Amino acid sequence: MQYKCITKDIWDKTIEQLLLSYNIFACVENEYGLDYEFIRPADILKISYNKPKPATSLKSFFLPVKENVTSGRVDEKPRIILGIPNCDIEGLGLLDEIYLDLEFNDVFYGKRRENTILIAYDCFGIQEHCHCMSYNIKPYSEDIADLTVNNLNGIIVLRILSAKGEDFVKKIPTMQSLEDNNFYAVIEMERHATEALLRISNAGLPDYKKTGELIIKAKNDMWEKYAAHCVSCGACATICPTCTCFLLIDKKGFVKVKQMDACQYPGFERVAGGEDALFELHNRFRNRYMCKYVWRPEKFSSLACTGCGRCIDACIGKINKNEIFMELEKSN
Amino acid sequence: MQDKRNIYTPLRAILTDVIEESPSIKTFVLVPEDKFAFKTGQFIELSVDGVGEAPFTPSSSPLVTEKLEVTVMKTGYVTEYMHMLKPGVFMGIRGPYGRGYPVETFFGKEVLILGGGCGLAPIRSLLYTLESIKDKLLKVILCYGSKTAADCIYKPLFDRLNSTEKFEAYRTVDKADEDWDGSVGVATTLLNMINININNSVAVVCGPPVMMKFGTIRLLEMGYSDDQIYLSMEKNMSCGLGKCGHCMMGEFFVCRDGPVFTYNEIKHNPEIWK
Repeated sequence: MQYKCITKDIWDKTIEQLLLSYNIFACVENEYGLDYEFIRPADILKISYNKPKPATSLKSFFLPVKENVTSGRVDEKPRIILGIPNCDIEGLGLLDEIYLDLEFNDVFYGKRRENTILIAYDCFGIQEHCHCMSYNIKPYSEDIADLTVNNLNGIIVLRILSAKGEDFVKKIPTMQSLEDNNFYAVIEMERHATEALLRISNAGLPDYKKTGELIIKAKNDMWEKYAAHCVSCGACATICPTCTCFLLIDKKGFVKVKQMDACQYPGFERVAGGEDALFELHNRFRNRYMCKYVWRPEKFSSLACTGCGRCIDACIGKINKNEIFMELEKSN
Repeated sequence: MQDKRNIYTPLRAILTDVIEESPSIKTFVLVPEDKFAFKTGQFIELSVDGVGEAPFTPSSSPLVTEKLEVTVMKTGYVTEYMHMLKPGVFMGIRGPYGRGYPVETFFGKEVLILGGGCGLAPIRSLLYTLESIKDKLLKVILCYGSKTAADCIYKPLFDRLNSTEKFEAYRTVDKADEDWDGSVGVATTLLNMINININNSVAVVCGPPVMMKFGTIRLLEMGYSDDQIYLSMEKNMSCGLGKCGHCMMGEFFVCRDGPVFTYNEIKHNPEIWK
């Protein structure tokens, strides 16, 4: 794996130059916390590096809440998303499997993927509900993204992960090869420290390979108990990096508007005539877990949870899926 | 012209005729603006401009490619609008989607078809297909039930089938009126009067969920094995592309993995009859 480095001052100037040809989004901390924001020159110094984790997931950059999918307008200005935790990068991997499949390739998604340079970061530290490692996901990216960026005390270290990343770096003449081995040691040390924190914080969570089996075995009273705190707001699905369900809404002129949807909303599976397999709240609640841990892994290469913990942060009913899994593990 | 690159853009089709099949069921005859072919049992997303779209399995023969017939029961928001349409308007078609009836696996066998209500629509398309390959089949028996005699669709179809070599068609009604002198009872009651070699047979079931459930149970009682029974499943197929999630039935996307399944493939899922 190829590493490059540049001083933070020059990197910031480079970003300013890149703003002329790219829309840049990056992690910025404000009074509400950390989130992806559109970067203007004045924001460059506010960009946060290596700190987990943006409040919203990467999903909305590729699957907007609402869009006209019959407009034919798919061209967008090239963009850079800077500072993506690996939970979001891995989530994007699953979206790629769904939206770029050979038979039904979604051109809107495909064009956005093509137009975007993904610069991930290594997480130095964890947030309260981070649990990526319990799903076999590392707190740093090794593929899917184009580059990773780490800010090591004023030196920006980039790791090249794709051909697109390599091309991008070639266009930055001030970028140098990293020759100081101390930087590798620092990166390794930070990684180990983060992994150790995750191990401690995630103690008691079942192995990811067991999650599907635990969900299948869970009894109805378990779903009823936890669903009693659910208000069907759909925040868990909205904020999830891998929940992708949507609706198609018809407008005059055979225009189709694609709008993100969630299986937690009443009527999600209702058919004409009124039949609804997910009429009861606890069935909808169970459906989301079955989808993520049982059904998606049968169709795609991984289960549909990257351990970002945002569904726990977002739940107004204070439902903590990790508690559900620990209870299931204990009663197993 | 349909934009081949965009999976969401419908192909426009002009509505050339509307046939009233029963008080609540109409057949819409459509001529698409571009070539459109489907396999029997596959479905399309049919849209009313500016109103909405819904999934339907065409009821016409897949061998006829210049026009398409879709039989629609007035049962929800989109279908209510459809029933108000007059010839001359444009409708939108996306598809065809999904896995249809594997008719080549029916070769050398007797085919039993159990249908109810508007479920005869996809079955009619299947019957047209089976008629075209009847040399390769031993026998085709249709058992169909409707609520009343007035609710029975494609009435001329029954006489035509009964005069076609290798085909038999039976009808029953749940509730008889004074003009009805045929069988009375749900569709499964007709299964008592047919002569079929179950060991060398396949059964196709299509109709309302309750009829599919009890039809399948009756076929299993008769001795059909789980993989001899083909079910055409009905879910809220919204995108048709296996992406939107509305038609998930366990691990299956009904729109992509179905809508036709063998009972063996889906029997482990408790949601199939919901």
